Amino acid sequence: MRDRLFIITMLLPTIVLLLLFYGYPIFDNLHMSFTDLSLLGMRRGGNWVGLANYRELFRSGDFGHILFNTFIWLTATSVILRLLMGLGIALLLNTRALKLLRLASVSRFALLIPWATPPIVAVVIWRFLLERNGAVNTALISLGIVDHPVAFLADMRTVWPSIVTIMLWNTVPLIALSLLSSLQTVPDEYYEAAELDGATPWQKFRFVTLPFLMPAILVLGMMSVFWSFNNFVYVWLATGAGPGTYTNVLATEIYIKAFIDFRLGYSSAIGMVMAVVMGAFGILYLRLVARQQLEETL
Amino acid sequence: MLKSLAAALIAGVATLGVIQAAGADPVTITFRFNDTEQEVRGAIDEFQRENPDIKVDLQRIGWKDARNQFLREAAVGQGPDVVHSAQVWVSEMGDAGALLPLDEYLKKAPPPNGFADFAAQDLAKGKDGHVYGLPWTTDTWAMVYRTDLLKQAGIDKLPTSWDELRGDSSAVYKKTGKAGFGFPAGSSASGAIWFLANFYWWSHDKALIVQKPDGSYAIGVTAEDVADCMKYFKQFMDGGDNPQSNLAASDAHDPSIMQALVTGNQAMGAMPPNTYKEILKAYEDANPGKPVPFESGPFPHPDHTKSSMIGGRMLVINANTKHPDQAWKFVRFMASEQVFAKYYRTQFPAQQSLLKKIDFGAPLKGFAEQFEYARTWGPYASGPVPIGTMWNLTDRAFGTALSGQASPEEAAKDLLREIGKQMASKG
Repeated sequence: MRDRLFIITMLLPTIVLLLLFYGYPIFDNLHMSFTDLSLLGMRRGGNWVGLANYRELFRSGDFGHILFNTFIWLTATSVILRLLMGLGIALLLNTRALKLLRLASVSRFALLIPWATPPIVAVVIWRFLLERNGAVNTALISLGIVDHPVAFLADMRTVWPSIVTIMLWNTVPLIALSLLSSLQTVPDEYYEAAELDGATPWQKFRFVTLPFLMPAILVLGMMSVFWSFNNFVYVWLATGAGPGTYTNVLATEIYIKAFIDFRLGYSSAIGMVMAVVMGAFGILYLRLVARQQLEETL
Repeated sequence: MLKSLAAALIAGVATLGVIQAAGADPVTITFRFNDTEQEVRGAIDEFQRENPDIKVDLQRIGWKDARNQFLREAAVGQGPDVVHSAQVWVSEMGDAGALLPLDEYLKKAPPPNGFADFAAQDLAKGKDGHVYGLPWTTDTWAMVYRTDLLKQAGIDKLPTSWDELRGDSSAVYKKTGKAGFGFPAGSSASGAIWFLANFYWWSHDKALIVQKPDGSYAIGVTAEDVADCMKYFKQFMDGGDNPQSNLAASDAHDPSIMQALVTGNQAMGAMPPNTYKEILKAYEDANPGKPVPFESGPFPHPDHTKSSMIGGRMLVINANTKHPDQAWKFVRFMASEQVFAKYYRTQFPAQQSLLKKIDFGAPLKGFAEQFEYARTWGPYASGPVPIGTMWNLTDRAFGTALSGQASPEEAAKDLLREIGKQMASKG
């Protein structure tokens, strides 16, 4: 009993700090989501409107479209491509040929550059590259691939692939380098044993490399989901959620409702919906990753 | 003896106080300005020379974020002392309690020709009748043309109707391969196609927001009017004479549009005078000694209608300022004739007495002409829906129609439904 009391006493400051630091903003946001608080009326405060903001959000004609963009384009597409490309680059960097040519260190260093570039700078660079007279259009026209400049960030056929490209350019290096470090922990004996058994390169990858990489892939995948689902910067800076509302996602909708329409209450409701979805991802993460790590530790 | 000693002590303390006051640090006020620093740097330096007890810190922010940023700060007792504001924002910011009422200062230390000399006084007042802003500059938008490209396309006079504008734009594209009328069609809460759409409606004797005789507000266009306007501007995108990439351009001063006009890759644009002046300067810098191939003209309109707005900026004082007297002194100085004569020459003053003294000159002739066919935002600013919300909804609705995400008819209905909803919720 005294031990338990001691543990609780020791944990109390941390719990209080966490409640203040995370709990208060969440409860304040939750409270705001039940009001009609406006940015123009912050001094007066908002009136209680119950579930009206949530009802309006779920009944809104755009909600399905925004959810689709957030889940499919911003999250699923970018996360899957990020993992696949990261894995491909990590495997490439781990090849003997690259080491023999003494290019491994140079390649790793080159890979750090996009990763070290702040997202806002990455988007600005890509906007220049993708504009009407930018390097990408100039190259496509000079190679005879297109006749006229492509409006990458304004044409509905190209706008999402362009945003995802910018995201990948900026974030794949971290995945690649993380997977590379995992790759380097695979003992050579496993490959030698597989070779003795007559395994093909694909079989070696499938039955030796991949099982070793799975824990890292799982952690990086889940973290990527968190980074992508919440992300505001790439879409807002690249397209402002346009053309029209074509690239609008939950994070940009929050900004539009809060700081353009001044509807802080309504945008808080969107924030709470996002928090619930993130909470679900969090539970999944705990079940898949954290529990496994805990079991390994114990 | 004691009395003399006490008197000497008091005199000594008083002298020390005076010395301390004289040697005290100057009061620092912050001025947040939303255009380029060089436009006001000289004026601020002169103010500081004339008022060594006041130091002015210049902060810069883009127009896009200016209003939201200030409202967020003001709500928590923060923010700059003096703020550069669009005329149409002042009333709502005053009503939100973010601005200092200026009535007392206008009585105590009015500008040289009084407040009555200023344009847009109605927009400076809140619903409570207090004055919250000093109109600083005034302007209007007009059309700008590259006369050399028009000539190459066989066009010898500026268009006077919307149909002619469409025809000339298309002709330039077909005959020269250059962009015709390149306008920003980006979907954001900025003055992209919002301005053009309204000019189109006004010139057709309609308006998005109207005030009824009983003082209430209503939507003054039908879904058909909105769809017609969308279809009109969509022709420029579909025809190729406004490059598709302009669907990502959010402002008249978008670098891609300004650059295209300077380099002769675009024949026509729509903009405020300061943007036009920057284009003229860039052309002159790049082509020293060459005649300037630019001309300005009013937007198409029948004689009895308006086709542009009387817009402009105001200077406002944050309700949270700790130095209201110094802030007012600065505001009053910035609106003085010497500032417009010597430094702030990219804008026109809002005082009618100063405006009369301006020689617009040949390149700006179209802007002077446009002033006669310009109107204030009136009910748009005093009505229940914040201007920023209407910018956003209109730009996005046009964006969906112009990009093909939705048909003009659907986009028009959505726009009016959303604005109607906002009007209903805000009474």
